[in-house]
Amino acid sequence: MATQKPERFDQVDWAEISRSRWFDLSINSIGMLATALPLLIVALYDWQILDERTPTLEPVGPAWDVGTVDYLFIFTLLLFAFYIVLPLFQNPRRTKYYWREFKRNRPAVVSLGWLAVVFVGGIFGPFFISAPEQSILTGYQPPVFLSVEQSYVSTCVGDIVGGQCQGTWQHPLGTTAGGKDVFAGIVHGMTISMQIGFITTTIVATVGITFGTVSAYAGGWVDELMMRFVDIVLSFPTLLMFLLILYIYGAGLGMFILVFAAFAWGGTARYVRSKSLSISEEEFIKANRISGASTYRVVRRHVVPNAASSIITQLTLLIPGFLLAEAQLAFLGLGDSTIPSWGQLISAGRSDLSFAPWIVLAPGMVLFLTILAFNFLGDALLDALNPEAEAENA
Amino acid sequence: MGFGRYVTARVLWAGVVSLIITTITFLLVSAAPNPSVQEAATQAALQGGDPAEAAERARELRGLDQPLYVRYMDFIESVYTFDWGWSRSRSQPVTEALGQGLYYTAQYSVPWTVLTVLIGPLVGVYSAANMYSWKDHAATGFAFFGYAIPNFFFGIILLLIFGVWLEVIPVVYNTDVAVFSAQNAVQLSIPVFVLVTGSIGGIMRVSRNESAEFQNAEFMKTAKAKGVSPIRAYAYHVMRPTLVPLSTTLVGQLLALFLGSSLLVEVVFGIPGIGRVTYNALIAQDTNLLLGSTLAFTFIAVIGNLLEDLVFTVLDPRISYDDR
Repeated sequence: MATQKPERFDQVDWAEISRSRWFDLSINSIGMLATALPLLIVALYDWQILDERTPTLEPVGPAWDVGTVDYLFIFTLLLFAFYIVLPLFQNPRRTKYYWREFKRNRPAVVSLGWLAVVFVGGIFGPFFISAPEQSILTGYQPPVFLSVEQSYVSTCVGDIVGGQCQGTWQHPLGTTAGGKDVFAGIVHGMTISMQIGFITTTIVATVGITFGTVSAYAGGWVDELMMRFVDIVLSFPTLLMFLLILYIYGAGLGMFILVFAAFAWGGTARYVRSKSLSISEEEFIKANRISGASTYRVVRRHVVPNAASSIITQLTLLIPGFLLAEAQLAFLGLGDSTIPSWGQLISAGRSDLSFAPWIVLAPGMVLFLTILAFNFLGDALLDALNPEAEAENA
Repeated sequence: MGFGRYVTARVLWAGVVSLIITTITFLLVSAAPNPSVQEAATQAALQGGDPAEAAERARELRGLDQPLYVRYMDFIESVYTFDWGWSRSRSQPVTEALGQGLYYTAQYSVPWTVLTVLIGPLVGVYSAANMYSWKDHAATGFAFFGYAIPNFFFGIILLLIFGVWLEVIPVVYNTDVAVFSAQNAVQLSIPVFVLVTGSIGGIMRVSRNESAEFQNAEFMKTAKAKGVSPIRAYAYHVMRPTLVPLSTTLVGQLLALFLGSSLLVEVVFGIPGIGRVTYNALIAQDTNLLLGSTLAFTFIAVIGNLLEDLVFTVLDPRISYDDR
């Protein structure tokens, strides 16, 4: 890397360093507060004032009843925008460096593209494509360019050529037995998958980082106790516990997210703890401390950024696990049947696989590609964000 | 700390973990209304009796009127003496039902585990030896494919191809076949293939990346310079140190997969194993059986982790017990 520009020390962000009082907020925090507070107010209004049946946005127009999961999702999206996306713009030089490193991994770039499609589709898709609706008459419509024997469909939307019902652009990926449009189902499933991914990630990262740093800085028997607790969390059979909770209390998507996130942060906590311990021995932390930095500042400015690459990689590799678990539960008929997730679609088409394979194949492939993309991305991020790993490979 | 003390401490810890999980299970169940009490009340109401009285009687019958700690002690005692109660849906003791399930689960789990443990590190080391060749890329591609494809989805696709179209395997697992027969091997081959594909990817990746480190180590150069044959060099000098970090994650990974996959694969292929017993217990609202299978899975996980830690310390003499 001889062509790389040398590091520059002549530009110091004094505002960032001198910002010591808590009310002197960065632009990111101001943005976060300015958007999260109205959200909180709407949520409180929805919870306390509006009665159960009235959709949240009815006074304004659209009949979208915002649920608990939706509020959490919007909140995590705001966090993502202000603390991950915005800093990338604020620091273009570093962003360019990451991008250059990242770009070398072709599959990862493709993966990122696919995940961007899922992300955009999940957030904006539901506003343009209405939720799939039951209509028994138009069940088993084949995907466009394909055809199915006429006897399987009661009403063919497209043309009938030689006893074969042809697919139409009206249902680009066909319909299920109940006449639900598969494409619309997949787009709405993207929202569910994004919700699962974002909310669990936020919970896991918050709990893991807090637990890890507290454990490392507390030391002694507190540390020992906390790490033993992590052992228990890690050896917990999450899926079984979820089945038990589901059996006794019943569970929707919110409960699923909560239970799976509650048992997934163990690895992150362990990693952050060991990183905090090793980094607190470094010279620059000592210098930092002598200059009067508080423990919070050391953790926030040095421990977390140094551990970030591994945390992000770990989280990227955790998300597919959650998506898979949701799909598995939905497939078993134990998921939240009120949500149009990919797993629900797969399980809906399972009995018709022999003549209507698109119902299973389309969402199954989307699920497969998404999990694959997360894995490639995790692999590439590990290389891009961690200069030490690269040095070892070279 | 000596080896003996380490083993004792580790075994005690496993006991504590299992006790904690059992306790949480107990609290979860006891905090919820018991379905059989509700059932008794509903029945009494339907037959013109007093539902409150019937519920009270049902509670008394099941000892639910006793204080929580008495019930807790009872529960713990019966859990650890394997007195796991009666399964309503299967009309047999819970332990017997689980035993029958385990019999079928073992038939595909044993070949699956053996194949994964054998093939995974071998392919991983092989692809590290031929790094960035087309063989390595093919192996990496396969690893990612297996890692990413949902087991149940892959299962139904293969079942469609081999069960429905080619009719090589029966669509629903045939329990009348003898365990060690060609027929059984054929009908289990697809479930085993699905599971191996799913679990081998992670192991291949780890062993590839770990063994890459030893490829160019000084001792490998020495071995090559001395004229040691490549197979011997890789078997003795690369494989052995690779297996050490691998073994720390192996059992945990396999167990996690076992919990999830056994349920899915058994439902897809219609194998009446322990995962299916759990699933049916859930559907049939059989609390005792569901509790039993939860505990069974928990104990398998705790014992697996314990064995892993013990084997790890025996395998690698470099690890001191004080660090762990």
